Amino acid sequence: MSETTFSARDFESVHTDEAVQVIARPSLSYWQDAWVRLKDNRRALFSLYLILALLAFTIAGPWVWTVDPQTQDLDQISRAPGPAAQATIVAPYVPWDGSTLAPPGTGLRLAEPATTQAVRLLWEPVEGARGYRVYRNLFPIGEERAFGLPLFDILDPLDTSFEDRLDLKPRNYFYSVVELNPDGEPTGAHQTIEVDVERVTTLEEAAAAGLVPEGAELREGDSVELAFHPLGTDYLGRDMLARLMSGARVSLFIGIFAPILYILFGVVYGATAGFFGRWVDQVLMRFSDFVVALPFLLFMILIRVASGVQPGESGIAPLVIALVLLGWPATARLVRGQILQIREEGYVSASRLLGAKTGYLVLRHMIPNTMGVILVTLTFAVPSAIFTEAFLSFIGMGVAPPEASWGSMCNEGIKTMLTYPHELIFPALFISITVLAFNMLGDGLRDALDARMRGTE
Amino acid sequence: MGMSTTQVATEESFSRSAGKQLAVYALAAVALLALLMWLLNLLASLTASAAGSSTAVDAANNTITIRLSEEPPQLDTTLLTDSVSGVVIAHVMEGLLRYDQHQRLVPGMAERWEINAEQAVFNLRDALWSDGEPVTAHDFVFAWRTALDPVNASEYAFILYPIRNAEAINRGELPLDALGARAEGDRTLVVDLERPVAFFDKLTAFSTYYPVRQDFYEATGGRYGADADQLLYNGPFTMESWVHGQSLDLRKNPRYWDRERIRLDRINVAYIVSDANAVLNLFKDGKISLASLTAENLAEAMEQRWHINRFMDGSVFFIEFNHRPDRLTRNRNLRKAMLLAQDPNELVYKVIKIPGYLPGESLFPVFLDGVRGKFREEYPAPEHRMDIARARQHLEKARVELGLDEFPPLVMLTGDNPVSNIQSEYFQAVFKKNLGLEIRIDRQIFKQRLDKMTKGQFDMVLAGWGPDYNDALTYGDLFASWNLNNRGRYANPEYDRLVGVAQGSLDAKVRMDAFDAMQRIIYEDAVLIVNYERGQAYVTDPRVKGIVRRAVGAEQDYTYAYIDMDG
Repeated sequence: MSETTFSARDFESVHTDEAVQVIARPSLSYWQDAWVRLKDNRRALFSLYLILALLAFTIAGPWVWTVDPQTQDLDQISRAPGPAAQATIVAPYVPWDGSTLAPPGTGLRLAEPATTQAVRLLWEPVEGARGYRVYRNLFPIGEERAFGLPLFDILDPLDTSFEDRLDLKPRNYFYSVVELNPDGEPTGAHQTIEVDVERVTTLEEAAAAGLVPEGAELREGDSVELAFHPLGTDYLGRDMLARLMSGARVSLFIGIFAPILYILFGVVYGATAGFFGRWVDQVLMRFSDFVVALPFLLFMILIRVASGVQPGESGIAPLVIALVLLGWPATARLVRGQILQIREEGYVSASRLLGAKTGYLVLRHMIPNTMGVILVTLTFAVPSAIFTEAFLSFIGMGVAPPEASWGSMCNEGIKTMLTYPHELIFPALFISITVLAFNMLGDGLRDALDARMRGTE
Repeated sequence: MGMSTTQVATEESFSRSAGKQLAVYALAAVALLALLMWLLNLLASLTASAAGSSTAVDAANNTITIRLSEEPPQLDTTLLTDSVSGVVIAHVMEGLLRYDQHQRLVPGMAERWEINAEQAVFNLRDALWSDGEPVTAHDFVFAWRTALDPVNASEYAFILYPIRNAEAINRGELPLDALGARAEGDRTLVVDLERPVAFFDKLTAFSTYYPVRQDFYEATGGRYGADADQLLYNGPFTMESWVHGQSLDLRKNPRYWDRERIRLDRINVAYIVSDANAVLNLFKDGKISLASLTAENLAEAMEQRWHINRFMDGSVFFIEFNHRPDRLTRNRNLRKAMLLAQDPNELVYKVIKIPGYLPGESLFPVFLDGVRGKFREEYPAPEHRMDIARARQHLEKARVELGLDEFPPLVMLTGDNPVSNIQSEYFQAVFKKNLGLEIRIDRQIFKQRLDKMTKGQFDMVLAGWGPDYNDALTYGDLFASWNLNNRGRYANPEYDRLVGVAQGSLDAKVRMDAFDAMQRIIYEDAVLIVNYERGQAYVTDPRVKGIVRRAVGAEQDYTYAYIDMDG
């Protein structure tokens, strides 16, 4: 048996690795941690940037694009998106009785150059005709002998002039004059000319629309650049971009303001019910069940009537009130459930044993632990509120004209969907993008804020 | 570290395979959806063909298919008010006189007639009801008494007022048998007139003047005109069936006195739709033989190389002001300012854009007859020029007269249809830009709008008026102080006097002078702002000829129509 001798050396620590004691990673608070995980979620981050861009579009947009959303540019109604158009300046419109000195030539011809102001036609009287019917077509006259739009019936064989002012666009038209038989029915005999219409404006109109550059002396025959509408115009010539911006203000205001209000209320309500439990909980939650049962549309109309909104006034205030009054129960239920669960957790009991007061418990433990749920509810509530506004404006219960919201713009755009699709596509696109962005952000937030998903990275 | 890389790798491969799966599912879903659509389409076409022929033109059966914009509320001629019912009833019933394809008044149930200042005598022809009984003078007397009976509250009772005692009976002051209309035998109808009426012959073509047979009316127990078998027919067609909300089936009436004239055997009203795009699609698919066009689908109609027609339906549309004492619009200068600040040419040519609309110049539309020619050619409308400077002067005067610092918002009542939506927003911007006036738009459905008009809950209203008979008085008496359709309660003794002259005189020149004075008062006093005379652009199936569209009478008339397969 050998004697073991211990020296002092043996009783020294084998090694002291300082590194083990050091917290290598920076300490992250709950929010920092959530942010880190949100940043890893590319979809959510992209949505966040999208929402920020939308907010910038809404708030800062009108400073950059200063066009008034209510100004009607009647010369450019339903114009598709594109660069600004040029127009030639001409003298103001003077009524015409057809007595211009006939320009040389025979048959159907122009009395003067065709402009968007008026197209003036002349022809020779036809023997035996009772009168004439003047047509305008977008296409050349083919085999079908379809002459296009009948513009006017002239029931006097000697009246051989016609002035067209109906919705003239800068393009080429085919004008036909068809003879009428004694019954006033068109016969086969016709003359057709192709007319190239030039876009014009008057000095007065150009000045009124602010198109004359400062210090410029414009004369008739000069060319002027018409108002620029990057996203086109609507059915009354109003600038789509400006209208989308002002519409965004309504849509996003409702979409963000109303949910914040009712979620705040729902949190307080649900927390009270969950924390006190027992009969308080019973009473409060049965009342919230009652509110859930109220039909939204009916209630919204009732509030509208009760709040004395006059016809022609905006229905936004009653809409927000109705949303707030009816929207909170879902949040209240969620928060109550969370609070009931947290109330029984060990750390809450420990805290209570250590003498924590109610207020401390709620603020330190309950609310932060339900924050994830609350934020997620909020991001999902936003798109639903935007949709509600769009729907109500669509059925004519939202904003009052001339105000616009994305929903009311869709409502107007759908009527001309086939001819001028841009009037529907842009507002619909904005609604879709906003709703999608908020939904994806909500998805990402749910993942980022859920404490149980920590450590899965 | 290595551990986590593999994890990432698996995650990546997982997401890749998940993506693949997702794509497969999406594809399958799309394919299924397409299949479902195809099946539904197949089913729909099966049921459609089962429901019977729904092609626009069926030459073998001499049948055409048409659509109506809405269903007739009912077809009791003593209560009829709307134009859709008017179209149907003009095909199945006939009055004493009627309009032909050239808008001339021709004999109907009456073979001969004589009208003087006190009396009208109609000699009826040998005509039969659809059940084989003869049409007698008693049927007319009964119909008119029924329409005037205060119990029935017919909205069009006033159109019978030229008959002696009619107005008193309608007010309940006289018994029904006091009416100045009597049957002398079965074939002679004698009508005593309240006052000389220059256009009584034209009135008898209106549906309220149509006959109703007493025994049949009473046998229906209050359901007269509610169904195909609750109505007796004396017109070119009879109604074979009426499926409410869906279809009406009109067949040629073998007992109609002028049956040789009728060339169609059947008119199948297979669709009751008002949506413009749906109507156009039906026409494109060859399901209906006539479709109206809107500004949006004109280009499409041209591209399809369709033969486009237009006609003026005789309706005049205007902004009617509220002249009640508590309204700002009672102030003439304010109205004048608004009148001068707008240009109907701009509205029609740039905003409405439908060929056939005429910029409004006068309450009296262009189709009305004057002394010899057309009224508007003999008496041109007051010349209107937009003049913003003058408009602003009037506005300033109005502001001072009313003692206002600035004008409160004015309420513009309007209907809920595409044209009036655009029109109201256009005027809102015009009055804002040119006068700085704030306009609030009150959009209401037709019934609600009428109710608000009657109660006077508006400053101005976008309204219109269609003719009941072919005489300027149908428009002129609209603003007489006693007329219930004068919703703005305009009251002007001079105007009333002129209406009295036009009602009571038989001298065309005197009457037309009165109408001219009326159109001048309307402009000078800015009683209303005339916007436009409505026109309609429409397309017809090239194989159907002879469709008549007109301002007075049934606006669609197929009694002269025939099928010509050569197109």
